[in-house]
Amino acid sequence: MVTGYLIRRILQAIVVTFFVTLITLALIHLVPGGPVAALLGQKANGPELAYYNRIYGFNRPFIIQYFKWVWAMMHGNFGYSIKNNISVAAEVGLYLPKTLVLVGLGLVVSLIFGIPLGVYQAVKRYTVGDYALTGVSFLGYATPTFFIGFLLIEWFSLDLHIFPSEAPQGSTVGQILSQPRALVLPVFCYAFVAYALWSRYMRSSVMDNLVQDYVRTARAKGASERRVLWGHVFRNSLITIVTLLGLSIPVLVAGAIFVEVVFNYPGMGLEFFNAATSVDLATLMGFTVITTFATIAGNLLADVAYAVLDPRVRYS
Amino acid sequence: MASLLEITELQTDIRLRTSVVHAVDGISLDISNGETLGIVGESGCGKTMTALSIMNLLPTGGHIVGGSIKLEGKTISNLPDDEMRRIRGNEIGMIFQDPLTSLNPTMTVGKQIAEAVILHREVTKEQAYDRAAEVLDLVGMPKAKERMGEYPHQFSGGMRQRVMIAMALACEPKLLIADEPTTALDVTIQKQILELIDGLRERLGMAVILVTHDLGVIAGRADRVAVMYAGRIAEITDTRTLFVNSRHPYTEALFQALPEKSAETREKLYSIPGLPPDLTNPPPGCRFAPRCRYANDKCRSEEPNLLGETPQHLYRCFYPVGDEERADKSRFAVEQPAPLAADPNVLAAGPQGNGEYLLRVEHLVKDFPVTKGAVLQRRVGSVSAVADVTFYVTAGQTFGVVGESGCGKTTIGRLVVGLEQPTAGSIMFQGRDLSKSHGSEYRRDRRKIQLMFQDSYASLDPRMRAGTILREPLVAQGIGNRQQREARVQEMLDHVGLPRTAVDRYPHEFSGGQRQRLGFARALMLSPQLIVADEPVSALDVSIQAQVLNLMRELQRDLGLTYLFISHDLAVVRYLSSQIGVMYLGKLVEVGPADEVYLRPAHPYTRGLIDSAPVADPSAEKAKEKSGVRGELPSAINPPSGCRFRTRCPLAQEICAEVEPPLVPFSVNGHHAACHFPLEPPIGDAASAAAAAPVQPAAPPEPSWQGPA
Ligand code: SF4
Ligand code: SF4
Repeated sequence: MVTGYLIRRILQAIVVTFFVTLITLALIHLVPGGPVAALLGQKANGPELAYYNRIYGFNRPFIIQYFKWVWAMMHGNFGYSIKNNISVAAEVGLYLPKTLVLVGLGLVVSLIFGIPLGVYQAVKRYTVGDYALTGVSFLGYATPTFFIGFLLIEWFSLDLHIFPSEAPQGSTVGQILSQPRALVLPVFCYAFVAYALWSRYMRSSVMDNLVQDYVRTARAKGASERRVLWGHVFRNSLITIVTLLGLSIPVLVAGAIFVEVVFNYPGMGLEFFNAATSVDLATLMGFTVITTFATIAGNLLADVAYAVLDPRVRYS
Repeated sequence: MASLLEITELQTDIRLRTSVVHAVDGISLDISNGETLGIVGESGCGKTMTALSIMNLLPTGGHIVGGSIKLEGKTISNLPDDEMRRIRGNEIGMIFQDPLTSLNPTMTVGKQIAEAVILHREVTKEQAYDRAAEVLDLVGMPKAKERMGEYPHQFSGGMRQRVMIAMALACEPKLLIADEPTTALDVTIQKQILELIDGLRERLGMAVILVTHDLGVIAGRADRVAVMYAGRIAEITDTRTLFVNSRHPYTEALFQALPEKSAETREKLYSIPGLPPDLTNPPPGCRFAPRCRYANDKCRSEEPNLLGETPQHLYRCFYPVGDEERADKSRFAVEQPAPLAADPNVLAAGPQGNGEYLLRVEHLVKDFPVTKGAVLQRRVGSVSAVADVTFYVTAGQTFGVVGESGCGKTTIGRLVVGLEQPTAGSIMFQGRDLSKSHGSEYRRDRRKIQLMFQDSYASLDPRMRAGTILREPLVAQGIGNRQQREARVQEMLDHVGLPRTAVDRYPHEFSGGQRQRLGFARALMLSPQLIVADEPVSALDVSIQAQVLNLMRELQRDLGLTYLFISHDLAVVRYLSSQIGVMYLGKLVEVGPADEVYLRPAHPYTRGLIDSAPVADPSAEKAKEKSGVRGELPSAINPPSGCRFRTRCPLAQEICAEVEPPLVPFSVNGHHAACHFPLEPPIGDAASAAAAAPVQPAAPPEPSWQGPA
């Protein structure tokens, strides 16, 4: 049954991808003066524009452009960045692993703190500890990420000189990982945002579960509060979290961009930011599409995890 | 005999944000080994809180604030939680009302049962699982070993409750507390579960506390009964005495409110006026005084003690029922009891009961497609929800449809009001086929058929005031101007017995019974002729149920309404209906005049249904010990061939699997049943009977029937 479910989800994903790519291309066309004008700058004259429009195929019908573009992407050709003189695919190969290091470390750290502290808050709900932690997580998602980043740099780098203000530099993952001290602030900054999400989700999910009838049954069996919590409530709460995890991917992607920009971390986000400021359309489009894929894949993964965790989905 | 459990002057409070509810207020009970004690009362009377106090499993804010609970002489009401845990599930087991939500959805049932063993016994995991399989088998789970690895949602309601029982009994407790164990189940399954609990009690020699709102359930199962009201015991005695010689006016009123008591005479039910008191601030004096028909000034100022002539029969009343003193005229002068005199019998010959068929349902079929497949959702089969059902409803009368959940009765209601389209067959309203009429005629007919819901809370918009809710149908249909609508709202509120000031209130400000009245009033706004009432009273307490049933009959008489009354409760259906149709798995298996069907059922299923429904009469309950319907409802996707009931029928023969039995007549009054081996002799053979009773809707007063050719 899970396979049937999966096939249906994958088909949905394909439909979503279709629309996202379509919109991406349409947005590029909405750039003032058209994409080529953006590329050549304001000084470009008519013949130049027409020439480049022909070179890039922007003069052809939109739908043809779209399919040519998709066709190329399906063959691994995501375009060529004139600004950086490198293919977009190569750019991705260069920056994506580093971003994954940041996101991976950040997620692990945030989950390590967010899940147990969320459980703690639910169990000790409406106590000082709960309120204090609620305050912390509120800061985490109410404060703009870049602002948190600046504060961290201000305190831990400029004032206290504990950690460097800039992220590790280097072109390979190995180089990045060889500078753990420089990694601390960006990872922490990223983790903080994600932590706020997890701890809130976990708190409300555990609280919802604690008042369920099955919890009363477990207590009536003579189970201790600890057993009730970890043996019964925890798994059921995680099911909710996993779905939310999938839904939070856009927030997490946006967070990565901000963190990379603030700490000058050499990843996809920073590169995307640079491409946006320099109107590097090829990079922008390629990265957008790839992020879309990642988001959809993440959602899909969350759904699978959900199906595995919840027998009601598995056997119905 | 030394008591197993002794409760002395127990007081349990529930602290809310701004007030304290005295949920249990000075209760003393004791229970001996092997005994079944019933605790009966309406919602909010404190019966569940008493049960939870014993387990010390009170909800947030709940505390035992006085008295003591002793188990085998040892006080357990003040034990620290870690010691109490050794008692829960070990010496006292507990089962709850809703077996679906009471089981952990993501843990196999085997693991959940084994957990109880692991918690209290020094065993290995394998031993615990072996024990779990053993108890699962003991509670009558077929293929217990194989089903250990399944999850709760893979079981039927009845089987889930068996899992709950297995879990509670895994450590062989001395006491089992069953809190409304069968309220969420169908009657046939209810009977099976109650029998199971009874059998296990005998076999394991444990005591049982049976908490329920249903006097019928108590009648057949309990040795002694405590009737609770407003946090206190109103009356306590052995079951037989309670049922033949109840002394407390509340107990008396509860009995009189039961529809089965007036089923034959169809007298107006006694309904207890008002609502139970608010337990944050209980009234001074007797707590029942505000609703008691015998109350006088003494009752209102002083509280009676729990006393009686013998210690075996105690009641909390100054003027017990059957007492000499009841002749005291001054007491009756204070508050006249509601007259119990018989209504003019609506059923026999109401003004509208002139035998016209208002609704003719013929060969009605409804299939719901079952789809499968990830992408294309191809149709792999269908659920046969209603299969070739024919019945006629006479104007001004009530046609009751009764059956277990999944029998198709609700689908019939939805088809009649137009919420579903039939797959085949016709629904004729005043001679016009609803599925074929269109436009304004269709809308006019539709307006004359209104639905009254089971759960009026869910069907009323919580953000709308009652006045708006009632006006809505008029506004939607563009009927009348402002004043006319206003007047109509007032009129309907009067009709259903709600104060005119109710227009400004929101649904949550009404009690359950009042909300049902409001739902009723809304259904009446467009002056319908036919009301389809789907389980309108099943969520209500007995005393409130009686109020609503009385109201339905009064309005039937006054407004000439016709009801299609759908319910799982045979007693309620019989009380209200002139004709009854019994449904099983989409088929109408028996139909006819209410009393004839009830007193001389021809179909084995009807018989089983009657025997399964608990009645508030201990001797009657004992007498039908071994009857009822075995097994569970088969799937409607592939219904059994031939007679659909054959998988559960005690009389089934080979022919039942091969030939579908046609409806044949059992009396000249239109009593028909579909069975090859009926319990009553049919009149004539089927062929000549069919000829004798042609389908001629114009031949009142007897509705006529024709089995499928
Ligand atoms: S004491 Fe009075 S009010 Fe209370 S139940 Fe008896 S007669 Fe009714
Ligand atoms: S037809 Fe056969 S199986 Fe069906 S009810 Fe009658 S005896 Fe039972």
